[in-house]
Amino acid sequence: MIEFSRVVKSYGGVRALDDVSFTVEAGSVTGFLGPNGAGKSTAMRILVGLCRPTSGSATVLGRPYAELDAPGARVGVLLDAGAWHPGRTGREVLTLGAMTLGLPGSRVDEVLDLVGLTAREARRRVGGYSLGMRQRLGVGHALLGRPRALVLDEPANGLDPQGIRWMRGLLRGLSEEGCAILLSSHLLHEVEQVADRIVMIGRGRILAQGTVAELGRGRGLEQVFLELTATTDRSPA
Amino acid sequence: MTGTATPFRRLLAVEARKLVDTRSGTALALALVVLVVAAVAVRGAVAGPELQRLITTAGIGSGTLLPVLGILTMTGEWSHRTALTTFTLEPRRGRVLAAKCLPALAAAVAACPLAVLAAVPATAVAAAAQGVPAVWEVDPAALLGWTGVNVLLVAEGLAMGALLLNAPAAIVICLASPMAWAAVGRLGATGATLAEWLDLNTTTGPLMSGGLSGDGAVRLAVSVLVWIVVPMAAGAARVVRKDVR
Repeated sequence: MIEFSRVVKSYGGVRALDDVSFTVEAGSVTGFLGPNGAGKSTAMRILVGLCRPTSGSATVLGRPYAELDAPGARVGVLLDAGAWHPGRTGREVLTLGAMTLGLPGSRVDEVLDLVGLTAREARRRVGGYSLGMRQRLGVGHALLGRPRALVLDEPANGLDPQGIRWMRGLLRGLSEEGCAILLSSHLLHEVEQVADRIVMIGRGRILAQGTVAELGRGRGLEQVFLELTATTDRSPA
Repeated sequence: MTGTATPFRRLLAVEARKLVDTRSGTALALALVVLVVAAVAVRGAVAGPELQRLITTAGIGSGTLLPVLGILTMTGEWSHRTALTTFTLEPRRGRVLAAKCLPALAAAVAACPLAVLAAVPATAVAAAAQGVPAVWEVDPAALLGWTGVNVLLVAEGLAMGALLLNAPAAIVICLASPMAWAAVGRLGATGATLAEWLDLNTTTGPLMSGGLSGDGAVRLAVSVLVWIVVPMAAGAARVVRKDVR
């Protein structure tokens, strides 16, 4: 389970996150939806302890991330598929992760298989990977420790249609096994096909949250999303 | 913080591996070895078969590259933004920093046996080639002192890297400081005194030659405090508290 409770993050006088509260239940997928710069990444970084909230708190599996036992093994995290050392091979990236988590080398092969990277691709340096391959590598890295919660920032970016279908199937399977999944996107269609619930955010504030059916009632989800984000985008600071 | 942490030896193994698992890392390690061996070989050919002198000649190569090794150890995660992953897998950032320091410091210690390994055959070959008797005497205190200086050089690099988190800036400061101090030393009595107390290259001199006196030890301690202890403490405090983005 993932829980944000009244999280505020200020940079100088600017509120990047303003009173953000929502919950992702075990066995469900929550889509974190909002335009670029809305605060999705900041919220996720606070969740895994990389940034400190100005006030409020965020917990995973009942505790602040940094206070969990072996957090890296219990919570799978992909924050930026571009943030790999370009000189390491895909296999080396996963090997370093597996070593840190105390997992056997065989887990690296299992994960490569799971995310559809071939042995040959895994031997190549990440600098030569397409964004789609980096996303697969990142999802694989997040799944190394068989996590009970997943935090994925824009995981569908750069994936081709096959890749997006694959990702959808993978996330469904994981949530059916009881994993709590939070994934962010600025693209509505990606999210509504896989998410049980949606949290819409704009300018650091939660604009709406609920099931896909609840939010889309009457006008359709896209209309709701565009109306909500358009007003926040254009309102004066 | 509660929660069981990743065993330190695991972090150590991972951070040691990161030093050499990229082309640039391997290249730096290779360059270090090649420079040490080449410096020893060339000195042997030019200066004659004196083991002690040949061993310390290795410092020409290691003295330049060891600080760089220390710097890159600390800044690498920030230039490639892999800090996102590293500090997510191990949120206790101080332990990661400690695990980063040890392999680099170990490399500094290893430079000494490596130099000896290169210098012994170089001495023998130079003696045979020049037809003069080899001088095998080695002053253990000087060897120990030289190793100590290597360790301090890496520590300076680690500290500057941690403080600035920017490899080019830290490299410029570490490599340009001897020239800067030479200039300061010529600025009259005050400048000379400053250099005597604060320039690591000057204060490590007695250690290098194996003749560290009480007075020299105090000066060394002062410069180590200024160039290693304080920047490392400030840098570590910053990294531990920093928002990783």
